[in-house]
Amino acid sequence: MYWVAGGFIFRRVNSPFHSLDPRVKLLVSAELFVVSLTAYSVTQLAVVMAVMLSIAAVSKILKRVGRTLIFSAGFSVFIFVINLLASHSLLTSAVYSVRFLAIIISTSLFFITTSPDELEQVMKSAHLPRDVVFAFTTAVRFIPVLMLDAIQIVDAQKSRGLEVEKGNLIRRVRKMVPVLIPLVVNSVIRSGELAEAMESRAYGAVSKPTSLHSYSSTKRDKLVAAGSLILFIITVYIYVRFPTPL
Amino acid sequence: MGIATLPDIQRWKGLGSSMGEILRVQNLSFRYPEAAKFAVRDFELTIKGGEIVILAGPSGCGKSTLLRAVNGLIPHMYTGEYLGSVSVGDHKVSEARMSELAQTVGLLFQNPENQIFMFSVERDIAFGLENLAVPPDEMRTRVDEAMRQLGITDLAQRAPHELSDGQKQRVALAGVIVMRPRLIILDEPTSLLDPKTAVELVELVRRLRDETGITFLIVEHRLELLVRIADRLVVMSEGRKVLDGGPEEVLADERAAAYGISIPPISRLRNQLKRDGLPLENGFGPDDLAEELNREALGR
Ligand SMILES: Nc1ncnc2c1ncn2[C@@H]1O[C@H](COP(=O)(O)OP(=O)(O)OP(=O)(O)O)[C@@H](O)[C@H]1O
Ligand SMILES: [Mg+2]
Repeated sequence: MYWVAGGFIFRRVNSPFHSLDPRVKLLVSAELFVVSLTAYSVTQLAVVMAVMLSIAAVSKILKRVGRTLIFSAGFSVFIFVINLLASHSLLTSAVYSVRFLAIIISTSLFFITTSPDELEQVMKSAHLPRDVVFAFTTAVRFIPVLMLDAIQIVDAQKSRGLEVEKGNLIRRVRKMVPVLIPLVVNSVIRSGELAEAMESRAYGAVSKPTSLHSYSSTKRDKLVAAGSLILFIITVYIYVRFPTPL
Repeated sequence: MGIATLPDIQRWKGLGSSMGEILRVQNLSFRYPEAAKFAVRDFELTIKGGEIVILAGPSGCGKSTLLRAVNGLIPHMYTGEYLGSVSVGDHKVSEARMSELAQTVGLLFQNPENQIFMFSVERDIAFGLENLAVPPDEMRTRVDEAMRQLGITDLAQRAPHELSDGQKQRVALAGVIVMRPRLIILDEPTSLLDPKTAVELVELVRRLRDETGITFLIVEHRLELLVRIADRLVVMSEGRKVLDGGPEEVLADERAAAYGISIPPISRLRNQLKRDGLPLENGFGPDDLAEELNREALGR
């Protein structure tokens, strides 16, 4: 349980990629996403994967990317089997399932290296309404809290004889009820208290709140952004101009 | 907007004892919508600047309701039947805006977890200031000052889930202090703390009052901890104020126990000795009592 929870919790790491302007990280991640999505040969996929894994290595997040991959592996296998049944081609099926993994990596590069603070910054610079941004950041902030709640409730119910791990699927789902109800009740109480605390701390007093941190792009950010854009265009050009067989 | 600017700091410091009255609750009654009974009834309370006042009473007697009425959640967030008036500083609570009140009264809720919104300690402390559109430079200074006052400067970059309960509470308190309120309300601040951390909190409150002149209104059951620093003890029962005075006299009052107040052992001992005819003065710690008893013995 803790192991799963860990995957969702952002950890501050010092790396050249982490320290980029979050908007640049988003750009790079989006470019990689498109390039993964449109890759159609083993060579292309191999190159894209290699690039992404090097970025992950530079960002010291290989382990966490690996963890994400393990989670997506099941689905990737599913894609492989479906395609194999449909196309009877091992190669096509492999490309499809690896492409799926590449897409997962491209998005997780952004989410693993971007703190909720930075996410908030990105959302603000996209001019999303303050309430939406706040709801989102609060949700992220409370993920670890709710996970701990859930773990504690499961432990408490276990000590009263609830056997979560036993029985068939329907039975197991039914056994989640004594866990879910206190969890929901807890969360409702929490949200009531949160609303009180927000009001008490002048939430919504002005339409344009200021921010303690100001994010400004440095020269390095601009260089990385420009460089990645050029690489992106070249890659797309190569995709279009020099179609390679699978 | 009445946002405090830098020169205000000087004025803000040392407010308090010179300030006269900071809170005036006049004939307040409040009933939640659809509730049969009034949660607070005919309540009268005045607090002078710089005082530390404890509010005690059995569960459900209306303590939290009173606190909400002081910081403006009642009537601004909770509607209901509202009679009488509450004034804090220069503001009449029912007429002032929440954003103005937030700079006059700070409320620290029972569970610090549910009042930390942001992902890093310093961002969270800045939350109230951000909402008031305080310029970033001034915000920086004030956040740093608040962290220094509470001794949490080294936690600045921590995420909330990386903090202990005591630390969370300090962070929440810093988020309140940073608004430079004149009155801080604490709702059962020690209930989630272990005894050692609770004692630290009590010392912190005393220090903050002495350094900044901030007034404190504290709801608390663990009287033995707080009674030492309190100037007054107010006891509430079924929505009404039933006792109000110096903590020693209130704890010596026969009725206090009847209202469900747990009299600290040292006060019970003192009361007993007094009943036995020993002419004791009032003080709280075991040391005070020992000293008095020594004096008494030598005097004989
Ligand atoms: N939001 C609410 N809506 C309706 N009734 C409420 C609400 N909050 C409290 N009450 C009721 O008002 C009365 C006083 O509650 P309050 O929370 O003020 O008591 P309290 O002295 O703080 O108790 P405790 O020591 O348990 O915190 C209680 O009868 C309670 O049920
Ligand atoms: Mg209460």
